[in-house]
Amino acid sequence: MVVKIEHKWGMVVDLDKCTGCQGCVVACQAENNLPINTKDLFMQKRAFEWIRIERYWEGDFPNVKARYLPVMCQHCGNAPCEPVCPVYATYHNDQGLNVQVYNRCVGTRYCINNCTYQVRFFNFWEPTWPERLQNQLNPDVTVRTRGITEKCTFCVQRIRRAEITVERRERTKLNDKTMAARNFMPACVQACPTNALMFGDQNNKEDKIHGYFEELHGHDGHSDSRGYRILEEIGTDPSVIYLKKVDQFKMEHSESHG
Amino acid sequence: MQEGRILPPEQINKDLLNSIMSTPKWYWPAVGICSFIVLIAATVVAYMINKGLGITGLNRPVMWGFFITNFVFWIGISHAGVMLSAILRLAKAEWRRPASRAAEVLTIFSLMTAMTMPIIHTGRPWRSLYWFFPYDFARGIFPNIRSPLVWDPSAILTYLTSSVLFVFIALIPDFAILRDNTTGLKKIIYTKLAMGWQGNARQWKLQIVAGILLSALILPVFVSVHSIVSWDFGMAVSVKAWHSTVFAPYFVVGAVHSGVSAVIFVLILLRQAYGWHDYIRREHVEALCRLLIVVSTGWFYYFVMEIIFGIYGREADEVAIRTLQFTIYPWNYIMIIFIVTTYFLPIFLWSRKVWRRNLLIVSIACISVNIGMWLERYILFIPGQINKQVFTFTWANYTPSLFEGIIVLGTFALVTLLLLLFSKVMPLIPLYDIKEGDILKTEVQIGRRTVPATFRED
Amino acid sequence: MAELKTLNHHYKDMWVFPDAEDLAGLPAKATSLGKTRLLLWVTLILTVLGVVGFVMRASADGLSNYEPWGYYMAAFSFVFMVTAPAPLVSVAFRLIRSHWRRPLTRIAEIFALVGIVNFVLYIPLMLMIPEIANPNEIGHHSLDIRRTLWIQVPWGAPHFWETAAMFSLPLMSCLILLLSSTPDMSASIQYVTGAKKKLYIFLAGYWKGSKRQWLVMQAAIGALGGLYFLTLPFVQFLISTDLGMSLIAGWKDSIFPAIYTLMGFQTSLAAILIVLYVFRKWGGYERFIGASPFWSASKILLGLSLLWIYHMFAFFITFWYGRMEVEQNILNYLFVDSWFWIFILNALGSWLIPFGILVWNPVRRADWGAPLAGVFVLFGALMFNVRTFVGAFNAGREQIYDISITVVPPAVAPDIWDLFMLIGVIGLAGLVYLIGLKIFPVMNIWEIKEGAMYQKMGRLFRGNYLVLAKPE
Repeated sequence: MVVKIEHKWGMVVDLDKCTGCQGCVVACQAENNLPINTKDLFMQKRAFEWIRIERYWEGDFPNVKARYLPVMCQHCGNAPCEPVCPVYATYHNDQGLNVQVYNRCVGTRYCINNCTYQVRFFNFWEPTWPERLQNQLNPDVTVRTRGITEKCTFCVQRIRRAEITVERRERTKLNDKTMAARNFMPACVQACPTNALMFGDQNNKEDKIHGYFEELHGHDGHSDSRGYRILEEIGTDPSVIYLKKVDQFKMEHSESHG
Repeated sequence: MQEGRILPPEQINKDLLNSIMSTPKWYWPAVGICSFIVLIAATVVAYMINKGLGITGLNRPVMWGFFITNFVFWIGISHAGVMLSAILRLAKAEWRRPASRAAEVLTIFSLMTAMTMPIIHTGRPWRSLYWFFPYDFARGIFPNIRSPLVWDPSAILTYLTSSVLFVFIALIPDFAILRDNTTGLKKIIYTKLAMGWQGNARQWKLQIVAGILLSALILPVFVSVHSIVSWDFGMAVSVKAWHSTVFAPYFVVGAVHSGVSAVIFVLILLRQAYGWHDYIRREHVEALCRLLIVVSTGWFYYFVMEIIFGIYGREADEVAIRTLQFTIYPWNYIMIIFIVTTYFLPIFLWSRKVWRRNLLIVSIACISVNIGMWLERYILFIPGQINKQVFTFTWANYTPSLFEGIIVLGTFALVTLLLLLFSKVMPLIPLYDIKEGDILKTEVQIGRRTVPATFRED
Repeated sequence: MAELKTLNHHYKDMWVFPDAEDLAGLPAKATSLGKTRLLLWVTLILTVLGVVGFVMRASADGLSNYEPWGYYMAAFSFVFMVTAPAPLVSVAFRLIRSHWRRPLTRIAEIFALVGIVNFVLYIPLMLMIPEIANPNEIGHHSLDIRRTLWIQVPWGAPHFWETAAMFSLPLMSCLILLLSSTPDMSASIQYVTGAKKKLYIFLAGYWKGSKRQWLVMQAAIGALGGLYFLTLPFVQFLISTDLGMSLIAGWKDSIFPAIYTLMGFQTSLAAILIVLYVFRKWGGYERFIGASPFWSASKILLGLSLLWIYHMFAFFITFWYGRMEVEQNILNYLFVDSWFWIFILNALGSWLIPFGILVWNPVRRADWGAPLAGVFVLFGALMFNVRTFVGAFNAGREQIYDISITVVPPAVAPDIWDLFMLIGVIGLAGLVYLIGLKIFPVMNIWEIKEGAMYQKMGRLFRGNYLVLAKPE
């Protein structure tokens, strides 16, 4: 018996809890066989950061504040990168993910230009790892050659493994509990020390992130909830919700009510 | 003013075929230099395919740089052909006669050169078949027709095919003259190409009708090619400077502007190089410059529209891009140079009839236009990617690398080389067009003056 | 006057070669318009109805809020679109030395008088145009100014500059009309009587026809034409943007002013051709107006209708492609949902029907082809202006400083005062044009004489062909 899969994956990022430690960045790099960001590569502005922490400074000394914004592929429902790929190397699958098919990619880079969130990366060089690091590569993930575009996949290899193990073999639904029990979540979510990142199934009512998506779609912008999506007004329908930082939120909230 | 002498047909044949029958002293050195540059560029391309696009200056976020600018530039140059041979033929302008063949040929070669650019700039060029053809039989996936990059090859290949057909059909009578004036292997080849042309009334009628039909049919292609290329950029929602509705007519008019300027320059070179003073006359150059005044003003209108609507509404991210274009080094210099060289300098140089008839001044104006139009594409495409969206964290500059420059130079050398090789085997001025123009010339008595006149052929 | 046949079996009056007798009688003919009383009364009544409509609307809704005035704006824009580029048609075709323009230049130039009407109609619109700077607090999804050309909001923007530009147009075009008709008025002085004679003597009495006067006159027309050519697209841009596009939040469209300008040329040419046809058919001018203006102009009309759909498609595909909500709302409002049927009529009138008429060779060669297509072009342009400007005026005043519209408003039907204003504006334009036809000589006598010198019939091999002299 084949279990029908009706998931719609999403993430919630709690900006109040994010400390900007970059643990998620390192975990992603390790999990997904990202090329090593040498100094040369960084100075060429070609570094790979499938999830990046953007840091913005606010205020003047001594009242300086840093705001951290982890940005990964938003897996947009109305993705601008999808219609422009000439070879269908990127498309939307039935689980709400924007998937990248490495062996189809010709490398025209139109998807990278059309990505609203700037989360796509191109292999300008053939990636190499020193011999001693080659054992660290993840066998579940393809190593991309040069000329291929890549991006965050919500660790689709882990999702597939979860589906195979939990849903097909153990015949249990993939929900919050089963996923947590098996540690099936993207590498960044797993590595975050403050649990600022949350991953789950938008369609599953018991999932902890479900409520955030309900609230977002339910109201029309005057919210009591902290949740918002980046560049919402453009209309890309991202699958990632950000929760505003509490003190900033309280300020705005009290303004509108005070 | 019709200033040319009416020459006997044998003289016309001898003059216009001299590029084929004899070789001037400068010819082989010129071919040699161009071939050398093309060879170097080809080596760099091979190196790039081997090493990866890392040898260019592209980075994240500027993913499209010199190559795409060059691609759009050459597609732009290619629009001269239809403008001069098709549109002017339908408008019955007599001054198109010496220019049409050179323009059409420049079209074909610049299209071919332009087509190489997107292929070499992909990450994995050997996979380009996925892009153009339903090659992936194993998976049964066709190219994504929703992507403007798939509209491109169909538009460009259609334009290329129809231009080649157009030139070939127009060449048949000239092939026949060559067939009759050569011997040996050349004669055999020209005989095949002339396809049995006898020059009788039926064949001439077919020739004229074919010319008119092809001129009319190629017009929609002409308009759509550069519009489709412009929609590579216009469809991009995330690059604010590109998402403008005016791109299609803006690019087409810009293409006519740069293409016709290039053709004028080529014509002046040909006149000096081959001694065709009786055929490419100052009146032709003057008329072409007058056409360009209108075209360039239309271009300037669309350009101003594009800039104004960029800042229209003062949305922060788009204003950031325009600020970059107008105020930040090096873009502010590029912007000034581009506006002056594309519009104000040429318009000034074309404003007086005396200057329009001075071939040196016109050459300077035309080169200025093409420099400016190359810069125009550059300043249109790159700043939008540099300051992309509100994520200032990922903003980065673009510095083109030497290899990109060599390849771009190589494309100029390639087009020149192809033109030179073509002039050795086929005449660059259509013989029968000139002869037809001579037949239609006449004179009219108005009062005490005898005024030159033309028969209207319809 | 020979009848002309060529090897190509043209329409029999393709080219006309007026002889000396025709040309001698032309001044008298051109200055006496004939039976116009009915037309004058009809246009006068329409004008009065329009004034009634305007007064009723003004008393009901006042002039401070622009929202109820959508149909007035559409009517003004329609008349402006049709009549303002007309003097340019004569200047442009004169500049490119097209031989078939000669009968229609004066008809085109007389539209300059309607430019005065345009200016007068424009003044109420200046009173109701909303402020550029956003008076409310800037919210998250709000702009600090509404969408406009006046980005830094300099002194006097927009009222002073727009009014000044709008005023300069009829100033320049009436001067072009005056200069161009001076030789003709001077030639006709002996054929007119009364007040008209006094007017002609006043305006053209100094004209001697010396070489210097001709040169100065032609240079002046060229210079004024060039200035007009530069000012008109600017004014068209202002009107289409400030009074149209900027009132629909989120409609950021760089090609729209170009579409507006393009339709200006299309409709002007159509109107000129219709008037030319009337003169040829019922005015007794068939010895001066052949079928060749219609033949040549129909190719241009065909091209313009294709250019229209090309520009519209460029706009449509750029907005539709990304499926972004803002752009989808605009498309739904103006094309797919609210104004759908008006858009269909617009596309039929501006593109499909003229294309279908003019794509046939024999139709283009006949003298009725281009005017027939022209009627549909004018209808299509009316639909365009209704869709755009009534749509813009009714998109919701509270949203014009927003980044985008969130609610798609419905289409608005006209009430009786709107209809009165619509026919009134058109009637007023027609009335002023008729008065212009009665005052000025309706044919450009000097150009027709010039043409008669330059155009001859010649024989080449076995056929008769037109021979055109090229003195320059």
